[in-house]
Amino acid sequence: MSSETRRTNHRHVELAQKILEIASERGMRPGDRLAEQALASLCNVSRTPIRKALQVLLERGVVTTEAEGGYALSADPATMPRLEGTAENEGESDVYAAILRDLAAGRISDQQTVASLQRRYAVSRQTVQNAMMKLADDNLAERAAGQQWVLKQFAVSSDAIAKSYEFRLATEPLALTMPDFKRDIPAIVSLRQSMLILRSMSEASFDQKLFERTDFDFHMLIAKSCGNPFMSEALINHHRRRRSSPTAGHANLFRLMQSNLEHMQILEHVERGQMELAADLMRVHIQLSQSQRPRLAGRGVPPAFKLVSR
Amino acid sequence: MTPAKTIALFPEASYGAALNCIGIAQELRRLGATPVFICHPGFSGIFSDYGFAEYQLGEDTSAPATDWNDFIERHQDAFRQSPFDQLESYVGPTWDAIVDTAIRVEEPLRKLIARLQPDAIVLDNVVMFPAIANAGVPWVRVVSCAETEIPDPLVPPYLSGCTETPSEDWERFSERYRAVTASAHRRFSGFLTQSGLRPPPPSIFLEPSPYLNLLLAPEIIRHERRNRLDEELFQFLDGCVRHEAPYMPPRFASHNEAPLALISFGSLGAMDVAMMKRMIETFSKLPYRFLVNAGHWRDEYRDVPDNVFIDAWFPQPSVVEQASLFIHHGGNNSFCEALYFGVPSIVMPYCWDGHDNAKRTEETGVGLHLDRYGWSEDELTYAITSLMNDAAMRARLKDNAVKMQEAAGVKRAAEAILKTTQKRPAIPPSAPSGISPSSGEIAGRDPSPPPTPTRENNDLPP
Repeated sequence: MSSETRRTNHRHVELAQKILEIASERGMRPGDRLAEQALASLCNVSRTPIRKALQVLLERGVVTTEAEGGYALSADPATMPRLEGTAENEGESDVYAAILRDLAAGRISDQQTVASLQRRYAVSRQTVQNAMMKLADDNLAERAAGQQWVLKQFAVSSDAIAKSYEFRLATEPLALTMPDFKRDIPAIVSLRQSMLILRSMSEASFDQKLFERTDFDFHMLIAKSCGNPFMSEALINHHRRRRSSPTAGHANLFRLMQSNLEHMQILEHVERGQMELAADLMRVHIQLSQSQRPRLAGRGVPPAFKLVSR
Repeated sequence: MTPAKTIALFPEASYGAALNCIGIAQELRRLGATPVFICHPGFSGIFSDYGFAEYQLGEDTSAPATDWNDFIERHQDAFRQSPFDQLESYVGPTWDAIVDTAIRVEEPLRKLIARLQPDAIVLDNVVMFPAIANAGVPWVRVVSCAETEIPDPLVPPYLSGCTETPSEDWERFSERYRAVTASAHRRFSGFLTQSGLRPPPPSIFLEPSPYLNLLLAPEIIRHERRNRLDEELFQFLDGCVRHEAPYMPPRFASHNEAPLALISFGSLGAMDVAMMKRMIETFSKLPYRFLVNAGHWRDEYRDVPDNVFIDAWFPQPSVVEQASLFIHHGGNNSFCEALYFGVPSIVMPYCWDGHDNAKRTEETGVGLHLDRYGWSEDELTYAITSLMNDAAMRARLKDNAVKMQEAAGVKRAAEAILKTTQKRPAIPPSAPSGISPSSGEIAGRDPSPPPTPTRENNDLPP
């Protein structure tokens, strides 16, 4: 597949994801009809890309064609994890993801040229340039003198996770108490539905992908709703960067299940307008999410200092 | 409704014991009990990750600041020595530190147990804590070290790395062991006596529980014993593996379809970055994928080969399950996990029962023993490729893994622990006459006779 075709395809997958979000926010159920024109207006695009996006959903068994033409949902959007192939997890064959992965794994240094990356990944100059531009857009790379690019090592280092929590602890509770915070009730209702589905799952059946989607959507919802464009921008960028980072760490299922319950509690308080309480719970949630395993341990070894490792 | 049984688990401050206890606690929770963890100072944050309550003995700040450079400098050389030479440089000082810890935590432990009022206590350690013997509730000993920790005339001495064929080395090692641990043992015996308990036999710091003792060793590596262990009191679990979330291996820059090897020497064993880098250099030339646990030193690695992925932590059971080879230090948990999933081991020990497990790996044909430092690139390559291609060993290990998984060690452990809560509390082995127990908690209790472990087990010091 050419990189151009792949990019086009990614755009359609992203649009398909957007359609699912809209369907979820509107509480749509299997069998409900997806009207192309309405979707085009809501997504601010023409009907042609909407048709392509619906085709993507058809291929993945999320919608069916109707006898009289058009498409209808065949799955409950609240139960669905993020679609494979969206920009954030397209990664495997993509140079953007490969650069980040190799940087995080210590395979490449933070100083690179387009030529050196072109050699490493055996792709065209244009492909590397596009990837670097996208990394720059996401604040993961910047131009240096001459032909050099500097990749932001701090964003993928082992310390990045701890620093990210530190940043979120300072900002996310604050976002909840911004004076112009605007509650997006349809989005809250739709999220709660997905969270309830997660809550009904046992440790053995817990759907990690669905959790990842609701986790991201939940924190993005707070960021988008805070009513302060500067705060909103900082948090949205941070969450996106967090999602594209290969150093996501490993969390135990039990913790993810607890995390889901904490999300639900925060959301309830947001819905009721108890923003100070929601902010306090967010503080607790972020602190509980940090792993405090000792760095070193062994028989007869003196007490160890701590490492935040998730 | 009967209240849920509270089971206090007290693993030593090492990852092996801690993670082993987590497996048991997960099963206790599933059976409706309330497992809680008692944590050594500074050793917390692990259990809460799995959703268990943690109670720390003392404050973090009370412990003196650790100079890790000094610690590593002191022990790096010891880890290059033979088990015999380590007796002086590492084993003796480690027993001193262990006894120090046991004495230091006694009072907070006694107070905490009184507060928690558990129905049973699970001790996964190598040393006794009088507060546990005197708590007035049944206590269970988990032997998460190699089986050699429970001595027998036919079992090689603990920590010796000796072969199973008795030789002069056994006696030579045991004598030296007794000598290097003598001062720690004297102090410890005095401490137990003061606490109202009988001092243990020479070289022994923890006697079997009169209620229940759980051993991990699966049948495939178990030793013959002259003195049969009482099956009521000593249960072999055939592995004790916790449940972890599934692990998705990362995308490598090459060899993505190749067999996977995991390399982990425990959090302490990762300290020798130079040795690890030497291994990685060899890995770069082999057609396999390698996951390397670099622990605290993850950021020390640059120019990592395309078929190698380094991280500070892996959910080990979920990774071993997918691996074709596990290179480790012979930590008993790692060794048992490899067997539980039918994966051959290359054991490169550097201390403690790692030596015993390395020898046992070779003797029982479940992998290879490689000196941690004395290997050439060709030797490491040969060890890896020969195990990767040994179909007969793999088939035998897979058959054994089926048996181990069917044995459901964590479930049996949890059930047996809950059963002990119905036993009547035993009077702890008392100190010589004229010395009263320091804790009055057992005074006046019905002196029903406790089950007695086979005392011959302790006749032969390690």
